[in-house]
Amino acid sequence: MSHPFHASNVLCPGPETRRGFLRMGLAGFASLSLPGVLRLRADSPEQSRERTAVIMVWKPGGCSHIDTYDPKPEAASEYRGPFSTISTKVPGLQFTELLPMQAQIADKFTVLRSMRQTAGGHPAGSMQMLSGDPDTRDKPKPKYPDWMSVVYYLRAQEGPRTNPLPAYVGINPPTEYNGPAYVGEAYSPFSVTGDPNEPNFEVPNIGLSNAAEVTHLGRRSSLRENLDNLERAFDQAGELQALDEFETQAMTLLTNPKTKDAFDLTQEDDRTRDRYGRNSWGQQLLMARRLVEAGVDVLTSSLRGPLCGRVGNWDDHAVNHHVFDALRFRAKAYDQAVSALIEDIYERGLDKRVLVVVTGEFGRTPKINYDASTGAGNASAPAGTKQPGRDHWPRGFSNIWAGGGIETGRFIGATDKLGEDAVERVCSAGDFLATIYHHLGIDSSKVFIKDFNGRPTPIVDHGKPIQELIG
Amino acid sequence: MASFVTAVDHDRFRRLGLSVSFVWLLCACQTFGASPEGPFSFVHDVEPVLTKAGCNGGVCHAKAGGGQNGFQLSLLGFEPEYDYDSVVKDARGRRIFPAAPEQSLLLMKASGQIPHGGGVRLVPDSDGYRLLHAWITQGAPYGDGSEPDLVSVSVVPDRGMVPRGGEQQLTATATYSDGSTRDVTALALYESNAEAMADVSSSGLVHVKDVPGNVAVMVRYQGKVAVFTAAVPLGATVNNLPEARNFIDEHVFANLQEIGIPPSPVCDDATFVRRVSLDIAGRLPTQEETIEFLERTEADKRDQWIEKLLQSPGYADFFANKWTSLLKNRRDDASDITSNFAFHAWIRDSLLANVPYDQLVRELLAATGTVIGNPPVAWYKRVKDPKEQLEDVAQLFLGVRMQCAQCHHHPFERWSQDDYYSLSAFFSQVGRKPTGVRGEDLIFHQRGIATTKNVKSGESLVPAALGDDVGAIPADEDPRLRLADWMSSPDNPFFAKAVVNRYWKHFFKRGLIEPEDDIRDTNPPTNPELLAALEKHFIESGFDLKELVRVITQSQAYQLSAMPNEHNLVDQQNYSRYYPRRMQAEVLFDAIDDLTGAKTTFANLPPGTRAVALPDNSYNKASAFLQVFGRPDSASVCECERVQSSSLAQSLHLINSAEMKSKLAAGDGRAATMATADMPIDVKVTELYLAAFSRKPTAEELQMAVQYLTEPVLDAEGNPLDESQTAQQNLQDLIWALVNTKEFLFNH
Repeated sequence: MSHPFHASNVLCPGPETRRGFLRMGLAGFASLSLPGVLRLRADSPEQSRERTAVIMVWKPGGCSHIDTYDPKPEAASEYRGPFSTISTKVPGLQFTELLPMQAQIADKFTVLRSMRQTAGGHPAGSMQMLSGDPDTRDKPKPKYPDWMSVVYYLRAQEGPRTNPLPAYVGINPPTEYNGPAYVGEAYSPFSVTGDPNEPNFEVPNIGLSNAAEVTHLGRRSSLRENLDNLERAFDQAGELQALDEFETQAMTLLTNPKTKDAFDLTQEDDRTRDRYGRNSWGQQLLMARRLVEAGVDVLTSSLRGPLCGRVGNWDDHAVNHHVFDALRFRAKAYDQAVSALIEDIYERGLDKRVLVVVTGEFGRTPKINYDASTGAGNASAPAGTKQPGRDHWPRGFSNIWAGGGIETGRFIGATDKLGEDAVERVCSAGDFLATIYHHLGIDSSKVFIKDFNGRPTPIVDHGKPIQELIG
Repeated sequence: MASFVTAVDHDRFRRLGLSVSFVWLLCACQTFGASPEGPFSFVHDVEPVLTKAGCNGGVCHAKAGGGQNGFQLSLLGFEPEYDYDSVVKDARGRRIFPAAPEQSLLLMKASGQIPHGGGVRLVPDSDGYRLLHAWITQGAPYGDGSEPDLVSVSVVPDRGMVPRGGEQQLTATATYSDGSTRDVTALALYESNAEAMADVSSSGLVHVKDVPGNVAVMVRYQGKVAVFTAAVPLGATVNNLPEARNFIDEHVFANLQEIGIPPSPVCDDATFVRRVSLDIAGRLPTQEETIEFLERTEADKRDQWIEKLLQSPGYADFFANKWTSLLKNRRDDASDITSNFAFHAWIRDSLLANVPYDQLVRELLAATGTVIGNPPVAWYKRVKDPKEQLEDVAQLFLGVRMQCAQCHHHPFERWSQDDYYSLSAFFSQVGRKPTGVRGEDLIFHQRGIATTKNVKSGESLVPAALGDDVGAIPADEDPRLRLADWMSSPDNPFFAKAVVNRYWKHFFKRGLIEPEDDIRDTNPPTNPELLAALEKHFIESGFDLKELVRVITQSQAYQLSAMPNEHNLVDQQNYSRYYPRRMQAEVLFDAIDDLTGAKTTFANLPPGTRAVALPDNSYNKASAFLQVFGRPDSASVCECERVQSSSLAQSLHLINSAEMKSKLAAGDGRAATMATADMPIDVKVTELYLAAFSRKPTAEELQMAVQYLTEPVLDAEGNPLDESQTAQQNLQDLIWALVNTKEFLFNH
């Protein structure tokens, strides 16, 4: 996608900031053409500074905020639900009883209770949160790239990756309502799917499983090299060279034992594996930690599947789940995995470099409603049984943030007394995204990427980094 | 940042011992008969300074939705009255402070004396700073209303030959409605359309790099544009030109001769038959076809093969695949299947029957009825919003990108918001009635006078085609027909040009205008004579698409070898050789099936359906292959949605995916069949080479492959495996190796 006349990017330089040259280069992305800025960064004496990374834990369907991080014990029973509140390690901060382990380490993360977006459907809600699309209507395909693909793309502009692992890995990643849109399919995640807790779990295309396979691939490759006679010389556009680089990277992934190791959970201490929980979610997040430690920049993981209950996600309408049974059903695995990840990030000294954010596309209606179940299963009564549910709720919900060098043990913002509207320190999807970008060294108010029409399009068109959540 | 005088001027002024800025102010004002101290005009003096300093760029204070920190300007200063209010009146007037001009927020920020997100734009000594200062001192007047209007900007020189590594200073002159002129070299904005070939400084000094060809520099001043075109010669002796076969060759070779790039020779038969089959029918020739072609001796055998391909269903499949994607034949809902299949069939059948292009477009544009009764109606199902309709029609059929003009004057073009909304008006009488089928409307002409309101001015506009009057349209006439008439008129400057350029790019990798759907005065073609000749030929042929393909592929220019000679490796736009490119997703998919002998079946389609014949995007979801190799999702009218670049996922896919493995190991596939076939081993290798590369192996390749196939394979303990076990495996290895060569993956 080459488009002429992109001077709009050339004229607006970056702001000066307190943090010196490096930051200025980053914040000033739009001032120069992108490669120019990245050159600046490469020349910086701080070049050896570790690359920042983000782990986003995604709760598809939307998690009830009022039953987890934002309890309303004073509200009437048709709102507050059956869960009692518990104190946490942070004075004044209370969770429901579903999150005892996170309560114990609440000093290691910060709760944002005033998240708000404006879309009521899963597609539009996800697109708001992940790609900053302000559209409130559902559409089948995202119009804008999600932040993960954007970061992958921007980092790829910095030059070839030296780490053999892909920059963006998804472990059962969210893919339904997000994607790379106009930055291109090449910036999709390297996807790991399945249950990493299964004893025979394997990641395809990472480290061939036995020596014979490696030998075989080696034989094939040398045959190919002997037969690949087309002159490289005919390529001026660099396409063949790019292809060669990707082939080399692919072969490394397949044959280098180190890349296999990064995905290999059996190399973890049993106690660590237990700490995360011997289930899919626990092991997903453990793998996430292993991978960012090994140099992955962007990591996403969805907590979905059987651990969620009958319908496999957090979409606790009464027709799907008995909302309270469902939350109770999944609480332990969730609480354990998330608390373990946060603790581990600090214990292993990743807490400056790696930002962890746990969120879904929205919260759930504070007012409980009742409807007939559409089927029996985990956390759902037999079809026809009336059961309580909560519906989609974007007007005020919670997410949590850890690592990233941020000040933790805080709770920011608030919803009103019924948990309906974010009323204090209201944060938009744009703020959410700008905060993530900020941790990755990207000033989202200044970076534009050309869409299919060649129009320079901001990576987020609204919002500012949430000051309390930046390191 | 910008020096506000050209290098040339600077020296001259210094010799005269004058302050550059003083002279500049003098120049700036003399045309309006004012003293060096003003009075200034916001439109003619202040706005250009803001534009040049980048204040009103789309990423700065003209950023949609509030600019920066509440200070919003119009994009590139297209709305001076709005900008005047922003600067002078908004923010409680604190942006300017006539009592102490240097304390004005405008100057404090722009000069970085207080923190400014945009950095230092105007240092206190600069001409721009002084002008703003003087203007504020005068009380920041808008102007007295007597200023003439800016009529045009011109550039000198407007074309020229510049050697590689050479430089050219441009001079920009503005002309006003009272006939006066002004040197605006220092205030104009400059942009190269190919930075790999030339860049240009903010003072208009063009620096040409190493790549030969034509490059354009756009000169913009307050909404007016001019273009400088440089021909950059390579300067080698050209004495080996193939004999021209048609007008295409005459123009391509004339250009090569002019700029001194010797072309590669015409390619051999094997290369040709593979290349042209891939380009016309989206498939490899079968080995039988290849052998027959190679053995034939008629002088016109290449023309005959082109003809055969054009008559084949493969041609219709391949080009229908191209067009359906651009026309957004997209499955958003399972129920779309019927209309998508109908729409695809309509395009495919029309291409096969060679319906003239103008008629095809007319049937689409003016479609009425239901999808089942009249399949092109499906386009109106997919593209519902009249704005999207006009934008898609303009970009796809006219090569004009109008999107910008919805909200502001097009930054590089003459298109205004009036042009945008009057084009939209052609679609204002498209009536819809729900049908029994969910999501589908019956489309009809809703009686009435077509108008659309310009949302900015509030004015109601009647249909006009990119500034051309199409006459009054009575209430009973469907305005879309008038648009179709205008398009297909032989004098239309866009319609034929857009499609011949699009097709040229299909065959040559690079459009004569790039991007192919961004045709504008400021983005000139690299070979204007050739583009004009192609247009003429296409119109005279009666908009015959097959004839367009024929004349292109018959040319010697198309048939040049991809291998560079000692001179033309650097050439990227003069077509001195064939530019190789990776096969597109569907074609590669089919080619791998053909080579491995695997058969893929697609949902709801009969067995034997090839990937190039898939009717819509829904198959991308099921096929990781199509997705990772960039088959578009029919979301955009731009061909750029198709990703042709390589990626890690692609390499992993070709090297080790389950999909590849199963194709190689297919029970009735080529490796399995060949392993047990009673044929000499060198015949097997030759067959594989013919299937993969449309050529026979060289002696060396044959020997290497045979050796691989016959070498004993050792098991983990180092003992040789039984030959019956290894024969098929070895053949799979060989096929794998062939698939993974550049010679296979690329059309060359």
